[in-house]
Amino acid sequence: MVYPFLKNFLSCIFFYITIISCNNKTDTNKELLFWCSNNKDEITFSKNATDNWNKLFPGSSVHMQPIPEGQSSEEVILAAVVGKTTPDIYANMWQGSVEMYAQANVLIPLDTLKGFLDFIHQRCDSNVIKEITSSDGHIYQVPWKVNPIMTIYNKTLFTQNKINDVPKTYTAYQQAAEIFKNNNKNSQPPKRFGYTAVKVIWYERLFNFYTLYLAASNGAPLIVDNKAAFNNKPAIEVFRFLQSLYTNEYFSRENSAASSDPFVIQTIATKWTGPWEISYLNRIPDRNFDFDYYVPPVPDDHVGPVYTYADPKNMVIFNTCKQPQVAWEFIKTLIDKNGDLQLLEISGQLPRRKELDTDPFYGDFFTKNPMLLPFAKQIPFVKGIDNCESIVEVLDIISQEYEACVVYGKKTPEKSIEDAEKAVNVLLAANK
Amino acid sequence: MNIALAHTNKKNRFQKRKWLPYLLVSPYIIFVAVFVLFPVIFSFILTFHKWNIIAPMKFIGVDNYTRLFQDRLFWISILNTLKFLLLHIPLQLAVALFLAVLLNQKIKAVSFFRASFFMPVIVSGVVVTILWQQLLGYDSGIINRLVTAMGISKVGWLVNPDVAIYSIAVMATWKNVGLYIILFLVGLQTVPTQYYEAAKLEGATKWQQFYHITLPMINPTIFMVVILSTIGGFSLFIEPYIMTGGGPLNKTLSAVLYIYKQAFQYYNMGYSATLGFFYAFMIMLVVVIQKRVIEKEV
Repeated sequence: MVYPFLKNFLSCIFFYITIISCNNKTDTNKELLFWCSNNKDEITFSKNATDNWNKLFPGSSVHMQPIPEGQSSEEVILAAVVGKTTPDIYANMWQGSVEMYAQANVLIPLDTLKGFLDFIHQRCDSNVIKEITSSDGHIYQVPWKVNPIMTIYNKTLFTQNKINDVPKTYTAYQQAAEIFKNNNKNSQPPKRFGYTAVKVIWYERLFNFYTLYLAASNGAPLIVDNKAAFNNKPAIEVFRFLQSLYTNEYFSRENSAASSDPFVIQTIATKWTGPWEISYLNRIPDRNFDFDYYVPPVPDDHVGPVYTYADPKNMVIFNTCKQPQVAWEFIKTLIDKNGDLQLLEISGQLPRRKELDTDPFYGDFFTKNPMLLPFAKQIPFVKGIDNCESIVEVLDIISQEYEACVVYGKKTPEKSIEDAEKAVNVLLAANK
Repeated sequence: MNIALAHTNKKNRFQKRKWLPYLLVSPYIIFVAVFVLFPVIFSFILTFHKWNIIAPMKFIGVDNYTRLFQDRLFWISILNTLKFLLLHIPLQLAVALFLAVLLNQKIKAVSFFRASFFMPVIVSGVVVTILWQQLLGYDSGIINRLVTAMGISKVGWLVNPDVAIYSIAVMATWKNVGLYIILFLVGLQTVPTQYYEAAKLEGATKWQQFYHITLPMINPTIFMVVILSTIGGFSLFIEPYIMTGGGPLNKTLSAVLYIYKQAFQYYNMGYSATLGFFYAFMIMLVVVIQKRVIEKEV
């Protein structure tokens, strides 16, 4: 009585395993899988590019799908890597994650592919290529697009408060903030000159401390030769400047409420953000204020160009890809001159291409979209993040000190930066 | 011959049937093995390894345990959790008992009040937390607007390092108190009414009745509420994760949030598993001590 049941049970399991095995991707399946971000505009861009490719090369077709939903794309990619279900091509990889995957040997070294180096040298400056080169000397990512972080300001509030010039230095920024504070003493809800995230989460530091650090230091790195390289004058000055914004109550220590954007409801006049705000703000019906952008503030004695954080998103090919050369040929169509124009026109995002602002091929686009031109001009002066496997922990250590010093004034900038340097060096030595 | 054959067949069937119970409980055993036993054993093995999920595991002996004892932030998170518990458990106990006693009276619309107090328990923790984040906002929060309207200066409910953990404790109490009210109500309704009648005849006041009859009679419920609040309090996560991210100055960094950060922000799976095991052992120890103390009292 039991044996027939057991026999049936085992047969079912065998049948199930057979079905599962049949479902696995085999070598005979030559279609490449391409994941793009789940941003509406990027889906349109990727779909157009994939359709064009499939028409031209039906024998090497590409299947496009947006990255599966998850809390963040980084988590989804990590889960895919662990489960060995990665796509062949992924667009929208944060530059800081690449080193970890490169060290784990899950990415194809692109410089080993035919034609890659020639193409990339034509498209990008040498400093960009240096920036994306991994610690082992290989290149695992295609620099695709950037969103330079700049200072957005409410022009209407500036005019109302008689702030005539945009405050580009620390002193000018503090003076403008003081004027704004005095003029809005009794406003309800309270108005502040600016806001930047205070949460102790590593990625928030990219949009305040790191952006201002790059601006103050002419684009200096945080890590050099696996050691902290940020215990310097610019980092201390950035901490001191930001600290003054909280001490004088120009900025709020509060986590911004999930329901309302303080820039939209005009309770703040400035913040550090990317070009994505343009289309977002332009879509707001009956918006009753004007806005514009300028570079992040710098120390008063600053000389030279003002660098900023690029917020770069790149493309990679995973080592589960059976035809990396074909994958690269497909990627080329996304980032060639025409592909970059498509990206601009469809998504309003900037390709990381040299001479983007002066190339006549893109002239028409910038004439029609003048607000994006300052971002294009900024591209030679943007930086991504250092190629360090532990960059997330490094930024988290800085975050801890940032909160203690900048937000709550419990430590001096010198002591905070020194403590962060020590902690980072211990971490990097342990992770060696 | 036939009798012997029949006997053998019966014996075979009986032997075959011996498998049946195992087969019937096998789904549960498989479930426990896959979702409980395997993760526990795997996590324990992880405690001796360094692993970032994507690279192969590396055996590091007891390094994770050594690190744990030197990890200042972990001990801060333990201290924060204890601070939270110190306010949360007595507050939860007192408020739940007080409201349960009120709701045990013959008052109008008692069902409505019971349902109202239970409502926050069934609402998503994330929703409740976001709602409270807005209420407790420094510049724009309703509570601070009321406070300033009364001429008092604003309170940094979530931005003042000395206040934030207590704000979270009050919020968590509000969220969970409904469940404990129900438990106390069940306890209160099991107290025989004759005891109160006898006490009344002896001239006992309401307070004396409560102190000498109600409290001793609902002691098992109090014990259960303390244990449940302790375990629930030790697993404090959603509130600081959403409201403060562990700040200000790590003053709301709970142990579970820290373990989560180690695992899913830094991908230190081995170290995170070590913290998890150590923390589970701590909770067990606290619950055993609580049990002994309360049983002694009974």
